[in-house]
Amino acid sequence: MISFRNVDKVYPNGVKGLNNVTLDIEQGEFVAIIGLSGAGKSTLIRTINRMHDITAGTLTVDGIDVSKLKGKELRRFRRKIGMIFQSFNLVTRSTVIKNVLTSMVPDMPWYKTLLGLYSKEQKMQALEAIDKVGILDKAYSRCDELSGGQQQRVALARTLNQNPTIILADEPVAALDPVTAKMVMSDFKRINEEMNITILINIHHVDLALDYATRVIGIRDGEIVYDGPTSEVTQEVLDVVYKGNSVPSSKEA
Amino acid sequence: MNKVSLFDKLFKPELITLDNGHTVYRKRSRMPLILLIIFIVIFASIQLTGFNLILIIERAPKQLGAILGKIFQPNMDFLPNVFGPLIDTIKMSLLGTIIGCILALPISIISSSNINKNRISLSVVRFLLGLVRTLPTIIIATMAALIFGLGTFAGTVAITIFTFGVVGKMLFESIETIDMGPFEAMESLGANKFEAFWSALMPQILPTYLSHCLYCFEMNIRAASILGYVGAGGLGLLINERIGWRDYNSLGTVLLTLFVAVVIVDFLSTYFRKKLG
Amino acid sequence: MIDRIMEVYDARPKRGWLYCIVTAIIVSLVIWSAKGINFAGITSKGSEIAAGMLNGLLHPDMSLLFSSASDGVPYLIFQTIAIAVLGTFFGAILAIPVSFLASENIVGKAVSTITRLLILLIRTIPSLVWALVWIRVTGPGPVCGVVTQSICSIGMISKMYITAIEDLDTRILESLDASGCNTFEKIWCGILPQLYASFISSAIYRFDINMKDATTLGIVSAGGIGASLTQCINSRRWSMVGSFLYGLIVLVMIIEWISTKIRRKLATGQ
Repeated sequence: MISFRNVDKVYPNGVKGLNNVTLDIEQGEFVAIIGLSGAGKSTLIRTINRMHDITAGTLTVDGIDVSKLKGKELRRFRRKIGMIFQSFNLVTRSTVIKNVLTSMVPDMPWYKTLLGLYSKEQKMQALEAIDKVGILDKAYSRCDELSGGQQQRVALARTLNQNPTIILADEPVAALDPVTAKMVMSDFKRINEEMNITILINIHHVDLALDYATRVIGIRDGEIVYDGPTSEVTQEVLDVVYKGNSVPSSKEA
Repeated sequence: MNKVSLFDKLFKPELITLDNGHTVYRKRSRMPLILLIIFIVIFASIQLTGFNLILIIERAPKQLGAILGKIFQPNMDFLPNVFGPLIDTIKMSLLGTIIGCILALPISIISSSNINKNRISLSVVRFLLGLVRTLPTIIIATMAALIFGLGTFAGTVAITIFTFGVVGKMLFESIETIDMGPFEAMESLGANKFEAFWSALMPQILPTYLSHCLYCFEMNIRAASILGYVGAGGLGLLINERIGWRDYNSLGTVLLTLFVAVVIVDFLSTYFRKKLG
Repeated sequence: MIDRIMEVYDARPKRGWLYCIVTAIIVSLVIWSAKGINFAGITSKGSEIAAGMLNGLLHPDMSLLFSSASDGVPYLIFQTIAIAVLGTFFGAILAIPVSFLASENIVGKAVSTITRLLILLIRTIPSLVWALVWIRVTGPGPVCGVVTQSICSIGMISKMYITAIEDLDTRILESLDASGCNTFEKIWCGILPQLYASFISSAIYRFDINMKDATTLGIVSAGGIGASLTQCINSRRWSMVGSFLYGLIVLVMIIEWISTKIRRKLATGQ
């Protein structure tokens, strides 16, 4: 369970990222976080695995106080949390399987990392993760030969390969076309249902959020202005979240 | 550029009024000033060095011509004596390049501002790299020869230090232009800095790194060939000796061998660097 | 499902042997080259000399560092700069005809090939050897440094010039033709403005190199700070070595900084 209690985040330049955020996310939920650019979606997600520090309040994940973690503890904590990025963040020159294998590096002795020695079991496990996202036939291709959707699936396989209990996804479909975006979203949905992994997803396109997530969190200027089931999201709610601006949808892109 | 430069304050821009009453400012040309500075610098340099063009034109063709004439008629009987020192030169540059390149890797990582966020250690390491590059290889070789005795070891030390400085600088400049996304991803899944660097950034910089190493090896063959002049082993020993005896025909042989070796190394290095790119 | 994965795993590209061969080659090269290096340990006097050097670096000869006499650091620094300035200046001028003669789009294939061969020859002879040859003409001293650098600079500068010349935008000549310019006007208005920035940039780049090289040439007593530095090293006057080294380091760092700055300005257009 992830729980925020009165969490604030002020950036060194004085910009307020999060303002008094309190919320609880149960294991196995599929949460979409919506809001304008710069509203604090990214900040919210990145505080959970402490890619960003919080400045006030408490944030616990499965009872662990995140802001108290240091060095090795923090790295061990991050092993359980997968992260997906808008720009995929793959080593594009390397093959798919090499990218997926990198998520095992922190559990290996340093000399094996140095020489890139992965055991057969590790390779089989990586291939299994690649199979789960349906690109097994591309396992030995170089990532820069793949399409955007396939690259995001490689990133997903890399994350699955670390056996996470939570996956944080920061705008995972923003760089993809609408059709591919839907395919990646269904991958997330399937993983969420089959493996009971909590998924938090920042998403710009509200229609995709409503189609796939079970819970929606609306964030505006660092404050949570809506938190409830997808079915209860109305036009009024969206007007509040988007300050009356037109609501972004994947269809207009 | 709203700031008015000192030059424009001293020499006010000329106001040009067109027939239709429109006006435009024309900045005074800097050319006369630049030419004047160049002229003064050249004149001062001639004074400082005691350079005399006429004397050189008078003397050069006869004496230089004679020496160059002999150099371009290499003495082929001398060829067997050249191979030993040539192999020494190649060995020195090879070993020096490899050790220098390996040493340069960690230093360049610490010198990259996108990986090392600690400003103090960053500037200390960069200063060190800059310092190493200011010292001419042959001066290092001279001192190394005094410490380690005459021979190829001193040359290897000099080549290693030179390679370290050059590759270190080229490499950290490449690392700073790299895509940091995978590094971020590695950190997010619990890798420490070393693991993140090695599995996310190393695959990206490896081709550039190897290319820098090969390029440096090219330079090192040339550099190593003269180090023997100060007693650091290799072809330079022969060069020193032959010039001392005014045996310019044999000097020509040494230079010819060096030329062939350099061309071959350049060719190989260019070939492999193309493959990497 | 597991069968499918096994299948893909078995069909993986097997590159292991390639890595093994490459590693074997590199390791054997290292062993081969290391065997030829005669490391006799630090010579008995070596540690003494190293200590002397360190001591000299820690206690440089201050009077030398600020003396205005002709054997003081400031004078020698200026002399080194002067050698590099003149060497680059003459080299840059000599390189102009050479590079035009080596550009295929100006003189044709035959002449350009011959000129390029000549450039290659000039480049292959190490500058130290040029200096040793010139010393017979000029005698030891800064003049030897100047002429050596003039010759050695030709090779590299003309190589850079050639690139600029071969990249020339010739369409502008057509438009100048159309407005009725004669040959001289075409060169003056159409070609020179395109070339001068890259020519100056090349010369400054070479100046940077010549600065360092001028010190190297000091080894064969071709003047400048290098000559005095070598003399002091050979006579083991470490505190003087220290002050010369400091002078040298400051000099090279300043020159590198200035030349980077000017060349950036030239590249971005004032």
